[in-house]
Amino acid sequence: MSTAPILEAAGLSVSFRGKDGSETVAVDGFSLTIRPGEFVGIMGEPGCGKSTAAIALMGLVRPPGRISAGSVQFLGRELLTLADEEIAEIRGRDIGLIVQNPRTSLHPMLTVGNQISRVYRAHNKVSKKAAWQHAIDMLRMVGMNDPERRVKAHAHELSSGMTQRVLIAMAMSSKPKLLIADEPTSGLDVTIQAQFLDQMWETANHTGSAVLLVTQDLGIVANYCDRVLIMAEGRIIEEAPVWQFFEAPEQDYSRRILATQRQEGDGETIRQAHHGELEDAETIVRIAGLYKQFPIRGSDKKVHAVDDVSFDIRRGETVGLVGESGSGKTTVGRCLVRLEEPTAGEIHFHDAALGGIKRAAFVPYRKAIQIVFQDPFDSMNPRWTVEKVLTEPLDLHTDLNPELKRARVVELLEMTGLDAALRSSQPRQLSAGQQQRVVIARAIATDPEFIVLDEPTSALSPETRIEIIQLLMQLSRKLGFAYLFISHDLTTVKYICHRVIVMYLGQVVEVGDKDAVFAAPRHPYSKALLASHLFPDISDRRVDRAERVTLEGEIPSPVSLPKGCYLYGRCPSQKDACANMPQELRAMPDGREIRCWRVTEGDLEDAQS
Amino acid sequence: MSIAEPDSRQGAPAPKRRRFARLDRFSGNKFLIFGISVVALSIFLAAFGAAISPYDPIEATGDISVPPPPIVEWPRLFYLAVSGQLERPPHWFGTDQSGLDVFSRVISAPRADMSIALGGALISLFLGTFLGLIAGFYRNWATELMMRISDVLQAFPVFITAMILVALAGRETGNLVLALVLVYTPIFIRLTRSEVMGQSARGYVQAAWAVGNYGFKIAVKHVLPNSLVPSLVQLSVTVGFAIILTAGLSFVGAGVRPPTPEWGIMISIGAQQLILGEWWPSIFPGLAITVTVFGYAVVGHAIEQKFREA
Repeated sequence: MSTAPILEAAGLSVSFRGKDGSETVAVDGFSLTIRPGEFVGIMGEPGCGKSTAAIALMGLVRPPGRISAGSVQFLGRELLTLADEEIAEIRGRDIGLIVQNPRTSLHPMLTVGNQISRVYRAHNKVSKKAAWQHAIDMLRMVGMNDPERRVKAHAHELSSGMTQRVLIAMAMSSKPKLLIADEPTSGLDVTIQAQFLDQMWETANHTGSAVLLVTQDLGIVANYCDRVLIMAEGRIIEEAPVWQFFEAPEQDYSRRILATQRQEGDGETIRQAHHGELEDAETIVRIAGLYKQFPIRGSDKKVHAVDDVSFDIRRGETVGLVGESGSGKTTVGRCLVRLEEPTAGEIHFHDAALGGIKRAAFVPYRKAIQIVFQDPFDSMNPRWTVEKVLTEPLDLHTDLNPELKRARVVELLEMTGLDAALRSSQPRQLSAGQQQRVVIARAIATDPEFIVLDEPTSALSPETRIEIIQLLMQLSRKLGFAYLFISHDLTTVKYICHRVIVMYLGQVVEVGDKDAVFAAPRHPYSKALLASHLFPDISDRRVDRAERVTLEGEIPSPVSLPKGCYLYGRCPSQKDACANMPQELRAMPDGREIRCWRVTEGDLEDAQS
Repeated sequence: MSIAEPDSRQGAPAPKRRRFARLDRFSGNKFLIFGISVVALSIFLAAFGAAISPYDPIEATGDISVPPPPIVEWPRLFYLAVSGQLERPPHWFGTDQSGLDVFSRVISAPRADMSIALGGALISLFLGTFLGLIAGFYRNWATELMMRISDVLQAFPVFITAMILVALAGRETGNLVLALVLVYTPIFIRLTRSEVMGQSARGYVQAAWAVGNYGFKIAVKHVLPNSLVPSLVQLSVTVGFAIILTAGLSFVGAGVRPPTPEWGIMISIGAQQLILGEWWPSIFPGLAITVTVFGYAVVGHAIEQKFREA
């Protein structure tokens, strides 16, 4: 492999001119060398200039910005002084760009084949027919199933995972030497994200091109990148090979983001101290045979969101409910707090059967069963003050006098680590972290026993995320709440949960003790899910594994469910019999429950060992 | 959007978008002061217009078809009138062919025009918001039926509907207000309903259920206060249209009975004289309508701006 650099940037600066004539420097003295076959990551907080720097390497800046200094040598040519036509020739042919939001990056009225072949024909003298054929080949290469049909699809007919693949096919159609990807996988599910990053990594390794990846996710950096750049306030503050960065980061800032994303600290001790007490804790929530179907308007078909789900939760326990989008995990949580009416099934809270009762009859139980939503700003009345938000549950469930209510509000703010002075603020005046603390304070206002946490941290920045998680753990330890923690963030689940429930397409496929499931997942779906999740850990990089477990294709539609096993068609260890054999959730001798006949009958284990 | 949103959530002062700097200046303070003045004046004249008018608006003076004094004379005339040196107040806007003082009639007309227009619009607002809240919050066959009925009402041309109603029920003020209510309530129902449906999907409404509120209380306590802005903006526009409709009905003879001072009647009577070159009996009430409608529109725009930020 040649070692002549593909791209060499030196002292690149980008500034934005404000309305009043002042200059804001967004990128300051950015220097970078990329060699063939390299996978380089740029990390930093939102607004640190990482995206701006990455696209400035192509000579592009969003107006009213401009490149104020520096040079970019691409294969020995200076890019920044080239004429517009010449640099346009290089973009798209030699440098590919994949942007963040796939849906809005495609033309809504042209077929994807048309768009890919246009890009290809802009840089290569070929016939329309040949370009069309090339588009099909590219789609096949990026792992799109049935490319001959998909090539004629429009953007709205594709899922977001497929749209992202179209963009990567477009960016790679001319086999660029350098691929710049700006958070290409944000918003994708982990199994799709893994498929996609594997694809990029393969391409870089096999064709000797290079990848520059802008990301906020340490997991991606740890698993794929060779080298990482850390940016803060427009400057590169650290550049290191990825192993060195994880072993011995130089900068305080790097150490801090590593600590937060790895979720170190006293996490383990909290968990261990907690663990012993739970052995004989009473079961407070038990659901059995829960179904939820949504009728589709104007058709007699139904969306099967939740399909025969059963589990129980003990006092003080944190149970993780994981799965990809569309797995029905949020619907389960919403049924538990009666924001959805279950179609069938039993929900027991202590001795009370809540499954079939009327919504009005559920109201008294809301004192004890609470929920924290994903988007904290959205879950507070925008015209109310914090005090009013926190007083509402007290008004509804207690008969404290106004004096005591005010005292309770102050107490709640203190418990959630907020300044009592914030009580007269409106939600939009608070930071996202403060907003989520207020929402948590509201949920615990009436001393509940059980709280559904519906992706409570996914709208937060990595640093705020860990603070909120620590707050939740501390509250549970002190006040004995049981949590159902719904999340797709397996790193956090691994950190805080006692038990894990894995859902796929509305069904529970595996239930087990957290340590056991994470150490050795047994259901084929759990295996793929855990293998696809990118833990920020360089000792077990996905690209170094001999066998990368992935699922084929995408999650099927929950409207027309498969006849046999729901994973049939995607499962790496399927047999013909799986196609027509509905699967049951069976308890194993070690206390785990698994929905796969090959595992429960010992067939799959034998096949592997 | 995805870039701007986190910023505003962090509580940092989000940079104000100035895409239409010209329009912003248009809606600036001067125009707002103008708009508020017009609204205030219209209400003041509705109450006291007849009382402060220099002549009795329905009693003929001796002067028939007197043109208004030239505008350069007005300051001098005003001074003379105030200092009591004139034996009769001047006919600022001239007189019509029956000898009625146009100025007195123009400032007395808001009593009829404004009470009908404001009354009709306000009743439509309250009724439409209430029905829209129900229709948006409970979505069942009954509220669907209500929406279909309001669709039918909206399908008729506004003017024709009002004319038919007044023709059937009689030219009483109450019937005119009723006609406006029937014509404008569906607009408020539809506006409120769509806003209520949008707001009901928001997380805070879900949270309101989860906290332990129940039923229509959620609609009143949480959804309604967050669904009012479009209707309030629509109110001022509706008042403007209602003025035009009231005057229009009178113009065709289906509204207020002459000789009640009313802008539409004045235009109708004055229009016949236009051909003789007597422009003043119709132009001044016409200007009054224009200025009033514009003033209400400016205030509506300002309400929209104000509450969008919140």
